[in-house]
Amino acid sequence: MTTLELPATVRRPRVPASFGQAAVGALVVGLVVGPFIPLVYSSIRSKALYLPGGTFSLAGYRTLFADPAYWTAVKNTLLFAVSTTTLAVVGGTLHAILCTRTDLPGRRAYGLLLTAPIVVPPLGLVVGWLTIYGQGGYLTQLVSRNLHLPVWNLSSIPGMSLFGAVVTLPIAYLTVRAALSGTDSSLEDAARSAGAGPLRVVGRITLPMLRPAMLNCTVLIFSLCLEILGIPLFLGGPSGIDFYASYLYRSWSNSATPDPPFVSAGAVLLLVVVSLLLFLRSRLSGAEQRFVAVGTRGGGLRRPLELGRWRRPASAAVGAFIGVTSVIPLIGLILMSFVRVLTTLEAPWRLATSDNWRAVATDPALRRAITDSLLIAVGGGAVSVALVAVAALVAHRSRFPLRTVLAPTLMYPRAVPGVILGIGFFWTYLMFTPGSLVRNNLWGEAIALCVRNLTLAYVVIQPSLARLSEELDRAGRAAGAGWWTIARRILLPMLRPALLAAFVLMFITLLGDYDPVVFLQKPGTEVLGVTMLQYWSTGVQGPVAALAVIQVVLTAAVLLIGARALRRASHA
Amino acid sequence: MPEIRVQNLRKSFGASTVLDGIGFTVRDKEFVTLLGPSGCGKTTTLMSIAGFQTPDEGVIAVGGDVFVDRAAGVDLPAERRDLGIVFQSYAVWPHMTVAQNVAFPLSLRKVDKRTARGRVAEVLELVELGAHADRYPHQLSGGQQQRVALARAIAPSPRVLLLDEPFSNLDAKLRERARDRLKQLQLSLGLTTVFVTHDQDEALAMSDRILVMNGGRILRDGTPEEVYREPGARFVAEFLGQCNFVTGSIETGPGGGAVLRTRDFPDGIAIRADGVSASGAATVAVRPHDIELCGPDGNGAEGTVVESVFLGDHYRYTVAVGGARLEVHAARPVAPGPVRVRIPPHSAVLVD
Repeated sequence: MTTLELPATVRRPRVPASFGQAAVGALVVGLVVGPFIPLVYSSIRSKALYLPGGTFSLAGYRTLFADPAYWTAVKNTLLFAVSTTTLAVVGGTLHAILCTRTDLPGRRAYGLLLTAPIVVPPLGLVVGWLTIYGQGGYLTQLVSRNLHLPVWNLSSIPGMSLFGAVVTLPIAYLTVRAALSGTDSSLEDAARSAGAGPLRVVGRITLPMLRPAMLNCTVLIFSLCLEILGIPLFLGGPSGIDFYASYLYRSWSNSATPDPPFVSAGAVLLLVVVSLLLFLRSRLSGAEQRFVAVGTRGGGLRRPLELGRWRRPASAAVGAFIGVTSVIPLIGLILMSFVRVLTTLEAPWRLATSDNWRAVATDPALRRAITDSLLIAVGGGAVSVALVAVAALVAHRSRFPLRTVLAPTLMYPRAVPGVILGIGFFWTYLMFTPGSLVRNNLWGEAIALCVRNLTLAYVVIQPSLARLSEELDRAGRAAGAGWWTIARRILLPMLRPALLAAFVLMFITLLGDYDPVVFLQKPGTEVLGVTMLQYWSTGVQGPVAALAVIQVVLTAAVLLIGARALRRASHA
Repeated sequence: MPEIRVQNLRKSFGASTVLDGIGFTVRDKEFVTLLGPSGCGKTTTLMSIAGFQTPDEGVIAVGGDVFVDRAAGVDLPAERRDLGIVFQSYAVWPHMTVAQNVAFPLSLRKVDKRTARGRVAEVLELVELGAHADRYPHQLSGGQQQRVALARAIAPSPRVLLLDEPFSNLDAKLRERARDRLKQLQLSLGLTTVFVTHDQDEALAMSDRILVMNGGRILRDGTPEEVYREPGARFVAEFLGQCNFVTGSIETGPGGGAVLRTRDFPDGIAIRADGVSASGAATVAVRPHDIELCGPDGNGAEGTVVESVFLGDHYRYTVAVGGARLEVHAARPVAPGPVRVRIPPHSAVLVD
């Protein structure tokens, strides 16, 4: 072999990689941490930040504590959080064990369907439930008016807790399932060889092993319950029951003085509580388990636990649960979008109408809500995934000195309540001059939504990145490539399936999320969630159902296309 | 190709010292092996040369270029050292074809397309992968992937080739072939090579020189024969094949050579060493295949065969001699029971 005559060294870029790494790091930290500074600041001022003559004062906190409605909201929230968490963890654990460790008929399909409430846009499910089980809901009417039986009240705290448990159950289910597939099933086989029956195996071996996972998702679901906004706004409205987040939202929008400091004070207090819970959870579980691992395959026993004569009843019960909580409300939602009003007094086809859909097509605000949300979902999703991908490379595959800050920073936005982030962004846009550039257009909302959901892109990308051996980058460096070249030509191309999955998740979430923008939306910059919220509160139901159907269909379509593309990408 | 100079490398992680003053020189076109158990510091040394780890102290230079000089604050980034490296996992990029993998270092050096294509073909021919240029790594066997990694490493004509246990993921049969192929390539290209392994056979078969490492130090530095025959340290003797150790005291024998006196061997054990002047307590090492067994009526120390195992090409006997147990390899069968054990002159060497 001849020796190749080569240029003495590889040509170096003029800007060192550390500048770019610092820029990406600073951008991420600024976007995530930035909004909290004006939030805290505004809570200790006597007047809204833009008003002249404000002084430092704890008046905001005093006003808050003096308001009896605040304490009622706190009490309601705690009641709701405790009962929802209990129901969701017990239900999720039960379903996880049934679907991964027993011979339940149909367990594979159930396993998939049980996760549906995570991917169905949250407001779609709320509207679906209301049309079926709400005070004027179809089944509620059927039972009370036609059968004259005592009826449930979805707008009570128990009713809302039940719905909350349905929404959060997939989190418990997925956490427990991941723990089950991670533990060696031979531990359970050993107990069976020792003579233990299926029930005893579950009680003495499986459940005790699951304790850390259950504790972990208990704290997670509890902290999610503290910030929940959609449920009290949609379901609690008729009974006038407020939770913490809805109290903040209503105080904000109904206050005599605009943008009162006590709302910021309330947000800061919630932020402190949720951050403490986050800390508790990071102590409870390893850093890896911090977020639910979506998509881990449930590992079954070599010989599943036999349910015996309970096989069919158990299967029917799980099927009924999925039917009642997901399938029927979705059917109700679709029905609702095609009728003037859904009532048991008249057959639905007599009330059929296309007005709801025509309203969606013609009302400029509704149309804008769809196009704006799509724009944010596609554009914001793509930009967020790109930013998070590079940030993840800086955090895990660079020698940038401050890289260790990045991973927790990327985890934080999803851990704090969306409404709090929203208030933070509101003040940020008001206080800082560049903020005024985005305050009155869609950019402000897009940024808030994307920052809030950066975490989701990160939790998809990070495990895939961790699976790529560092020797792959080292081989690139030995070949003479610098950091950016390795990122661009080696790591990012290999991450393609993860980037695609992250984009799909971002798209779905950005399409349905609304918490961070309820304080930011202005006429002309509508997004789907907030628009549905506002229309529903004025009694417009049909078009809201139509919007929810559009959300569900878009989500399902993107999931299907994404899954197919992902299969093709991972084959290549 | 230039020589590699490594001086006084030191590295510790917290309280544990990984490199404790490593120094050696690799001459031009030489194949040097760092041999030792896991945790001995061999990989840390190699990665320090490659630039993926920074020693706390020391100097590394290739030819006239100083890569690392901690005292002077020099630590050249890995991508500017112009070395070829083959990793234990091969690290063949799965999203690129074989040809793209090999062409990658060339494209970074702005080699024009035609030259690069010719070079890739040439290098792939060299590792016998010419027909696989357009395959993706997952379509190749482990041995082929290893050759892709090798081709990629040598494509830009690096100054030095570094090999980090490149055969450890291959099965035994394939390993031997890959070993011979790599050695031939190294010889014909005259590559200055540093090779890291924990496998004594690989080290003995391929190296011009072996550095045996343990606990962050180099215990022995020599040709394969030197290292095997004169291990110098008990650890080295044990690490390179099996070994028996006999302890006694040194005296001058009848012929003027040194003899180890021990109760179990009444005639003493002649030691192969020039100018052994030490006296007093000492230990010698004897390879199992150097010990001779004969019937109870023969010469030698009295012993008893307590265990025998047939291993195909030889028998392995455990022989009790006095209070000690010796391992003996013999080509012929020996009946269990009393035997005479003879250690031929000059098969025992002194160790620390």
